[in-house]
Amino acid sequence: MRSSHRFTLRWAAVLVTVAAVFLPQLSWAHHGWGWATDEEFEITGRIVDVRLGNPHGELTVESGGELWVVEVGQPWRNRNAGLTESVLARGVTITAHGHRSAREAERLVKAERLVIDGRSYNLYPDRES
Amino acid sequence: MFSDWMTAVEASRLAEALRSSVWAYPLVNAGHILGVALLVGGTVPLGLRLLGVWRATPLDPLRRVLARSTDAGLLAAVLFGLLLFIARASAYVQSPVFVAKMLVLAGGIADTLILRIIAARWAARGGAAGGRTPVSLRAAAGVSLAVWPAVLILGRLIGYF
Repeated sequence: MRSSHRFTLRWAAVLVTVAAVFLPQLSWAHHGWGWATDEEFEITGRIVDVRLGNPHGELTVESGGELWVVEVGQPWRNRNAGLTESVLARGVTITAHGHRSAREAERLVKAERLVIDGRSYNLYPDRES
Repeated sequence: MFSDWMTAVEASRLAEALRSSVWAYPLVNAGHILGVALLVGGTVPLGLRLLGVWRATPLDPLRRVLARSTDAGLLAAVLFGLLLFIARASAYVQSPVFVAKMLVLAGGIADTLILRIIAARWAARGGAAGGRTPVSLRAAAGVSLAVWPAVLILGRLIGYF
């Protein structure tokens, strides 16, 4: 065959091999939220403000005398986890399991799982939390 | 008063619908990015061509095609961007990154208008057949090469700062 075809085929073979090696590993790859730390973090407090919806849902939670922002999911993700507006109401005490901001002074947490009234609501079932 | 307008816009039925949507908001987001892609994808090659890259390629057909797709991209980016904006208007206007993006965007639009006026006058004088690309046109092209990627970058940074 023409040398340009051989060249293309060889590069296609390289790409397919690389993809075949790396793609299956994606399901085990751990990537989190770039602005948060890697360690699992937990915080318990009372909801004082609720702001759900795109681009991100946020709860303002009072804990240990400080106000924290707990990021929950977008509409589909919250609904999937069973987190409705009646569950996430002001005055409700929650425990959020997730990852806190890497910036020491920032009171911001990305929630992976919430525990409310003894019941667990998992926003990211594929992730450890 | 301005912050009252922002609060009012944010409280509108359209903004509320976008915030609570499952599909609409992410698709609007994608539409905004598609517009930006056409915009940057059009201004960068044309800007480079005006600065002398790919000199063998005729300018006029290239300019005619890319000006159209760039305009479509800008229109899409602005319309979808407006929808994204109203979902969180108060927060965005308080973001220095967002404000910077709007200022640079305004500069980019002004540069595009100036560039097209200069180009039209040059074409009326005979265009490329008459000689070298005018310095003013090359300067405007250089500005566009800086401005549109900067708008893109600032837009991306909004979510991080």
